[in-house]
Amino acid sequence: MKFQIDKDVFQDALNQVQHVVSTRTTLPILSNVLIEADELGLQLSTTDLDVTITKRIPAKVASTGSTTLPARRLASIVRELPTSEIDFEVNADNAATVRSGPSFFKILGLPSSEFPVIGEFGEAKEFTIDQKLLRDALRKTSYAISTDETRYVLNGVNCIIGEGMLTLVATDGRRLAMVEQDLEFPAGNESSVIIPTKAVNELQRLLENSGELKVAITDSQASFELNGSLLITKLIEGNYPNFRQVIPGQANHRVTVEREVLQSAVKRVSLLVNEKTNSIKFAFEDNRLAISANSPEIGEAEEVIDVRYNGPRIVVAFNPEFVMAPLRNLDQDEVFIDLIDESSPGVIKIDEPFLYVIMPMRVAN
Amino acid sequence: MHNRYPLETQEEINQPQLICLWKDVSHDLRTQLGDSTFDLWFGEFQLVSVSPHEVVMLAPGTMYAIWVEENFKTTLISAFQKYLTACERVRFEVAVSSGTEESSGKEPVESERGREERTKLTPQVLVEKVSEKKLLERGRAAGLVEIFRFENFVPGENSELAWAASRAVADQPGKTYQPLFFHSACGLGKTHLLHGIGWESLRLRPKSKIIFVTAEQFANDYIDAIQKNALVPFRRRYREADLLLIDDVQFLGRKEGLQREFFHTFNRLADMRKQIVLASDCPASEINELEERLVSRFQWGLSVEIHRPGLETRAAILRRKRDDWKMQVSDELINVIVERVRGNVRALEGALIRVAMVTTMNEEPISPEQVAEIIADICDGQDTRQVGAEEIKRAVAEHYDIDVQILSGKKRTARIAEARQIAMYLVRTLTDLSLVEVAAAFAKDHGTVIYAVRKVKKRCDDSASFKSTVELIKRRLVRGGSSVESPRQPRGQYPPNFRLGSKAFGGGGE
Repeated sequence: MKFQIDKDVFQDALNQVQHVVSTRTTLPILSNVLIEADELGLQLSTTDLDVTITKRIPAKVASTGSTTLPARRLASIVRELPTSEIDFEVNADNAATVRSGPSFFKILGLPSSEFPVIGEFGEAKEFTIDQKLLRDALRKTSYAISTDETRYVLNGVNCIIGEGMLTLVATDGRRLAMVEQDLEFPAGNESSVIIPTKAVNELQRLLENSGELKVAITDSQASFELNGSLLITKLIEGNYPNFRQVIPGQANHRVTVEREVLQSAVKRVSLLVNEKTNSIKFAFEDNRLAISANSPEIGEAEEVIDVRYNGPRIVVAFNPEFVMAPLRNLDQDEVFIDLIDESSPGVIKIDEPFLYVIMPMRVAN
Repeated sequence: MHNRYPLETQEEINQPQLICLWKDVSHDLRTQLGDSTFDLWFGEFQLVSVSPHEVVMLAPGTMYAIWVEENFKTTLISAFQKYLTACERVRFEVAVSSGTEESSGKEPVESERGREERTKLTPQVLVEKVSEKKLLERGRAAGLVEIFRFENFVPGENSELAWAASRAVADQPGKTYQPLFFHSACGLGKTHLLHGIGWESLRLRPKSKIIFVTAEQFANDYIDAIQKNALVPFRRRYREADLLLIDDVQFLGRKEGLQREFFHTFNRLADMRKQIVLASDCPASEINELEERLVSRFQWGLSVEIHRPGLETRAAILRRKRDDWKMQVSDELINVIVERVRGNVRALEGALIRVAMVTTMNEEPISPEQVAEIIADICDGQDTRQVGAEEIKRAVAEHYDIDVQILSGKKRTARIAEARQIAMYLVRTLTDLSLVEVAAAFAKDHGTVIYAVRKVKKRCDDSASFKSTVELIKRRLVRGGSSVESPRQPRGQYPPNFRLGSKAFGGGGE
């Protein structure tokens, strides 16, 4: 196998696929990237047996073939190479020579026959959706994914297709983020799957602000094809619990607040967050919101910001990180906080079909 | 109260006792959490069984169970501990009977038909997405000037080749022409194209390192580096560029140390297949005392001359400028300007600005005649510089290192006669003067002129070196005469009267 390739193209492609390779693995081949050269160019693949990413890039291929090379090492070598064009040659023993201007590298690889075969797809439901739509929806929900491995069904984003809607939900039991987007799917595509965290993260890395992507879903796998990349992931088996149970009903009070103002105020006040309760207080009253933290052994902080609110005084305590997470991942200038009372969950909403439920902490009076 | 539930005795507690226990615990919880919270989360919970260390509860749904466990576990345990001192855990079971539970719409998939083929992927080039603002910042840091972009360049028949080469180089740096060398008189767009290549490359490859400098800046950096004993960072900066754009390379002339440094920079970049683009106001071979090895390297890639723009191109350039600057100048007036101002683009722009200013100050529209008047001095300077008997005589005299007067004199040594004949030939071919007028300029009769012209033509055919001498003088004249310097001139000195046209010697000044 022999080819010449543009450094930037190769580097970017390696960056996109290398995150999949496992850092600690019993199978050495899983640290490697599979490189296949054909007349059209190169195909790079990495897998951890759960998530697989394949990427196609152009290259001047002089002779075709395939090999596997250590992915992270290769990526760091390519990043440092001095010329914009790199010459690659791999011999029968899977030793790759890399030449770039005055630099020369020889990298030992493993035969491509040892690379696991990417799982075959059964009958799949296939459709295309807008990349930006999915990217935004994942961005608005993925931070709420649970990291508690004992609740494995929550270790991913629940993606529900049906009734003219695409619904994405993530929760960890203390907060819940949901996007419910009107979207017509061809009939017969109704499904509810749980996409694991790793695949969600990789997918977010691949998604761009324009164009479409092809999605295929079976009962155990899903694939996403976009921008010359193909991501295949196992799905989390099991049923996602009915999240609608924890979405509060009609709110009594609505507070309108500027997102960035709130975010930076919470960030500042949270510097003195009470380490025991890990909460800060939000006092809503008469078009103002006083955010305060009090740590008996450290000190206290307070910041008052202007909001739109004219109901009775309500004081609730939230985990500041849980308040900031959605704010960081929204683009709107204004957000709404819907409250029922001091002890019921608060709901952050925007002008778009999104909601975020957050449990209040109990305020010790 | 603690003894109402005989847990410590390991006895099985019965259903009524369980209900009673839950009632007690919920009463406490209700007081602690408030009615609304309690109803929201615990309203439908039931107590299923109790063992000494564990309490099992039935939740109305999985999500309830998860949220209650996450948010109220410790509250719940401590509430139970009041009655069951050994209680350590709460476990939740989920009621399966409720039909609403589990939103999943999964259906079993029977067919196991494999996918016909692995999904075909189309190769894609990744381009880093960078905001306009970032690009601007990077461009400025590279020394690029914003207004000199490809979009603002008006290509014409004079610059066709240079324009095409610029685009090719911006598209595929280091692959097509290495180096690309522009030369032309000043103000014809060399600098514009250099910057344009920079901007376009930056747009296509936002990560690439681009450096734009004039040769003078390069020299200053070099001198600075020597002074501060910091040659290493200097070399790193220039030798790690992906695209090096150098303007006014004629400045390298007669500077040996600088040339040596530049030679190594050049070689290093060429080795790495990085693109180099150079601009000079004369061809590489005419740059004074430029080392042979540099000359050959400059000529190695593509050397393109930009000529003076023709009438149509001049008009197109001015119309574009007018639109860019939102000036109120009619096409008719522009035509008057371009007919009169034939020189470089800067002179054209100057004329346009002047006309536009007068137009805005005047209430009434100005006439073509007024335009001619407004820009009269610009045109004057131009005409004499273009072609004139006196200018030619001066140039020839400079070249042969003789006094101009001698050309019109009577001395007829071989050297002076040769100079005189060349001067006559050039006046005859480059100006519109008649034979008689030419003769008058040299205080000779027209027969002498005819003879001189014929003689020069013949000698050009016979001797290549003679021809190149004639061509050299001619080129200097036609280009408007920056950088005209006699090869015999002692190094580093200029005769005090060394002036051509209105422009003092100074090497372009672009």
